[in-house]
Amino acid sequence: MEFSNVLILMQKELRDARRNRWFILYMVAFTTLALALAWLSLAGLGNYGLAGFGRTGASLVNLVLLIVPLMGLTLGALGLASERESGTLLYLLAQPLDPKELLLGKFFGLSAALMAALGVGFGLTGMMIGSFGGLTHLNAFLWLVLLTFLLAISSLSLGFLISAAVQRAATAVGVALFGWLLLVFLGDLGLMGTAVVLRFQAQELLWFSLANPLQLYKTAAILNLQQNLDLLGPAGVFALRTYGARLLPLLIGLLAAWTVVPLLITHQLFTRRGAL
Amino acid sequence: MNQLLTLALLLSGLLGLIAPHSIQAAEKSDLAARLAAARDGDTIEVDGGIHHGPLEINNSITLIGVNWPVIDGGGQGTVLHITAPDVHLEGFVIRNSGDSLDQENSGIAVEAAGTTIVNNRLEETLFGIYLRKAPNSVVADNSISSMDVDVPRRGDPIRVWYSNGVRIENNTIEKGRDVVLWYSEQLQVSGNTVTHGRYGLHFMYCDDAIVENNLLYRNSVGAFMMYSRRITLQNNTIAGNRGPSGYGVGLKDMDDALIENNLFLDNRVGAYLDNSPREVDSIGRFTGNVFGYNDIGVSLLPSVRHNEFVSNNFIENEEQVAIEGGGTMSDNTWSVAGVGNYWSDYAGFDANNDGFGDLPYRSERLFEQLVDNQPAMRIFLYSPAAAAVDFAARAFPLIRPQPKLVDEGPLMSPDIPAGAPPLPAEQNGRLWPLLLLVVMAVGLMSWPWLAPQSPISRRFPKYGKAKATL
Amino acid sequence: MIHVEQLTKRFGRLTAVDNLSFKISPGEAVALWGANGAGKTTVLRCLLHLIPFSGSVQIDGRDMRRAGKVARQKIGFVPQNLTFHDDLRVDETLLFYGRLKKIDFNHTAPLEALLDRLQLQPHLQKAVGDLSGGLKQRLALALALLADPAILMLDEPTASLDVSAREAFLSLLLDLKQAGKTIVFTTHRLDEMSTLADRVLHLVDGRLQADSSPAELHLQMGWTTMLHLSMPAGSIDAALTVLGQHGLEGRQNGRGIYVSVPASKKGLPLELLYREGIPVTDFSLD
Repeated sequence: MEFSNVLILMQKELRDARRNRWFILYMVAFTTLALALAWLSLAGLGNYGLAGFGRTGASLVNLVLLIVPLMGLTLGALGLASERESGTLLYLLAQPLDPKELLLGKFFGLSAALMAALGVGFGLTGMMIGSFGGLTHLNAFLWLVLLTFLLAISSLSLGFLISAAVQRAATAVGVALFGWLLLVFLGDLGLMGTAVVLRFQAQELLWFSLANPLQLYKTAAILNLQQNLDLLGPAGVFALRTYGARLLPLLIGLLAAWTVVPLLITHQLFTRRGAL
Repeated sequence: MNQLLTLALLLSGLLGLIAPHSIQAAEKSDLAARLAAARDGDTIEVDGGIHHGPLEINNSITLIGVNWPVIDGGGQGTVLHITAPDVHLEGFVIRNSGDSLDQENSGIAVEAAGTTIVNNRLEETLFGIYLRKAPNSVVADNSISSMDVDVPRRGDPIRVWYSNGVRIENNTIEKGRDVVLWYSEQLQVSGNTVTHGRYGLHFMYCDDAIVENNLLYRNSVGAFMMYSRRITLQNNTIAGNRGPSGYGVGLKDMDDALIENNLFLDNRVGAYLDNSPREVDSIGRFTGNVFGYNDIGVSLLPSVRHNEFVSNNFIENEEQVAIEGGGTMSDNTWSVAGVGNYWSDYAGFDANNDGFGDLPYRSERLFEQLVDNQPAMRIFLYSPAAAAVDFAARAFPLIRPQPKLVDEGPLMSPDIPAGAPPLPAEQNGRLWPLLLLVVMAVGLMSWPWLAPQSPISRRFPKYGKAKATL
Repeated sequence: MIHVEQLTKRFGRLTAVDNLSFKISPGEAVALWGANGAGKTTVLRCLLHLIPFSGSVQIDGRDMRRAGKVARQKIGFVPQNLTFHDDLRVDETLLFYGRLKKIDFNHTAPLEALLDRLQLQPHLQKAVGDLSGGLKQRLALALALLADPAILMLDEPTASLDVSAREAFLSLLLDLKQAGKTIVFTTHRLDEMSTLADRVLHLVDGRLQADSSPAELHLQMGWTTMLHLSMPAGSIDAALTVLGQHGLEGRQNGRGIYVSVPASKKGLPLELLYREGIPVTDFSLD
């Protein structure tokens, strides 16, 4: 492993992201929607200024849950598959490179690009909230950015896994979109249905729901914004009562595992498969 | 040499210990003596100084502090007892009571009628001001903060016990347990600020109380009112109460309550109703309030009936109205003579421009019903799947639930009451970290790698020349 | 230099390369030759460890599986499909791969020389996607030679070139061979193999059919050309004797002889007869 190689590939990836129409679209969409949502919750009803920071933050969480996994999954899914399809992957691997370096370079590059997109979106939104005088919890806001970044790279990592597993770029995007549906809608809907039928207890529901990285993120984000999980009802109260101060590190750790584990599997698949 | 120094230090230390003691002792005996010597109707002025408690006022005197004289309880028992009627106490710092909850150690304990306690500061006291059978007393303009201990070990900053006609006005209270009022009629509680306590206000068996213009902010519960009749709660701002329970106002067995023009903001539950009203012929009235940005705007137990909600504003609560345990509501009124409430999630229209929506407001979100039935489902809040459930219910009427409530005359625009005190201004965060974030993000994206003007290309000078040959 | 033992590569049920073993010495130019689908490209990819395989490949004493990264530093590769990033410019592409190969951009003289030799200087600022096939091929060779590698691996190096570009490109490769590079290339073209290769590995269905010189291969394969040589009638017998001494079988036909020669050695009879002082007035290919 040479970091200089990782850095070169990371720069290349950043440059490609800058020219990637999808990436620019995501960035603009995220920034615009974040600004619009924050503005609505701050000033929507005639600028009464009644909404606290918690609510403004929560509306951002809502947006993040929809759009950030989509960004990470699709960009990650294209990451390897498109280069494989165009043949550039083959040529890259013929260079004095370790496949690990290639994988990490691409991953870090796309991570940095996602960080930049989130930085622009959250940064501008935060400044707007501040200009309304609503930025009363700067630290919580910065933590929210960090948590969102974690969600972004775990989706990216899942996208990479898809990219390493399928043959064609179009298939990869298709699978990524399905993965998005699964994480954002189908998983929770299925769990909801099961919970209604089987009448799950709060703690059962908690465990099952935390299998979803999006729920991990949401729980951590709300805990960060509200300092408690009353908002999530009995399951949230149970989580906080059981784990207390260890809950946030636990959630962050699990989210990080959602990044590291898919990446390790990706590496396995990638080396087993080679450039084709 | 060293030994000499040590000796000198020791000596000075000893002197330091002895000297203040003698002075304080003199002052203490001084104030205690003056109180003992006073006659009814006397006015005693105390200019500064630190006076040791416990002290007792057993004559009907007026005691005025100038330059904030301190009465220090030394951490033992109750600091100041008032046992004679019509005492006027003003301008003192009362501090360091004992910390026994059993003995109800207090800053000021009053056991006589007509006491006036004005403009004092109570610091490090377990209970603050305790009115025990002290009717027609006035507690005004005091600031009270409790000892800095865990909430269960704190005392009540103000406690009123069998004292009719007491007025509690413009006090500033923070970090106490409960401002609690028992068995007292015709209380007037107004203009107080209660923050970071457990129950901002707690009424038990207090008929005909008027509670107005108070700010109840960031307590566990804003105001909890039980077993009282004809209470009036108006023009209060009740916000950020999110502790266990986390009610803005909780009503239990309250008859004929009038809840009017209050702001209930960012609480876990704006208003919580349990068996209120209790009597069949009584009505709870909610008029002109704002229920905004709470997790739940109004939460009712399924058996609750005979409440009237008119001209309230339900703004962006995660759940506007909840029925704990699910089901539909009966015998509560959401519009009177065609006048309903403002609902931020009303999706209807007003074709004839009369200010009322032409279609009734129906609270029929499927996800809300799921949550009402199975509270654990609230874990899916903010999940896009929750929105999908509601969308599906709208699209397929087959799975659309029975509406929880119907408002026949929804208002098209909110009407925010102006009388309630403003929220305390919170400090706005600095913007430079965010500016830095944006600059870093833009910098990262425009990392000048491979660009012809980049430093890298200077190591590859042919770049420039090649242009000429093209 | 290159040491391959029992190289086997399967794609599902298809065995693309079957138990292949060979050695290549420094300075050799070796052609992997065979029909389409014979497994030439797959062998090349295995040599570079671009795909997993069974068996062993050692290059410059290093096991490709364990130390592929170090070994690839010594290999310049020209792929069959010239797939670079189309939106990069030529100079950016050189910079990108040059950095990966760790070439010293402070010391630009060798780079300048390489670009001059491949006549790439005027095209440095063009996008790679806009280059013609010949230019792309030259760029590919430039990239392969950036770090001055000892080994060149080329996959169908002239496939995308027209006739004149092919000639030019082959002469470039011959120069490189003269300069002592070890060259491994795949081809299905006879002339290319004959011109460039010292040795041919003939692949059929992934198996090594023959390992020989191009001339021998020609003979083994029975690729001969009939050469008709015209000469005075009195020289015919002498000519048949001379040719016979060198293993070339001829027969008389009118005022000349027909002789069967390996396709790549068409000049040989002329050279032999000239050396013996036997005049040849004319010749033609049948």
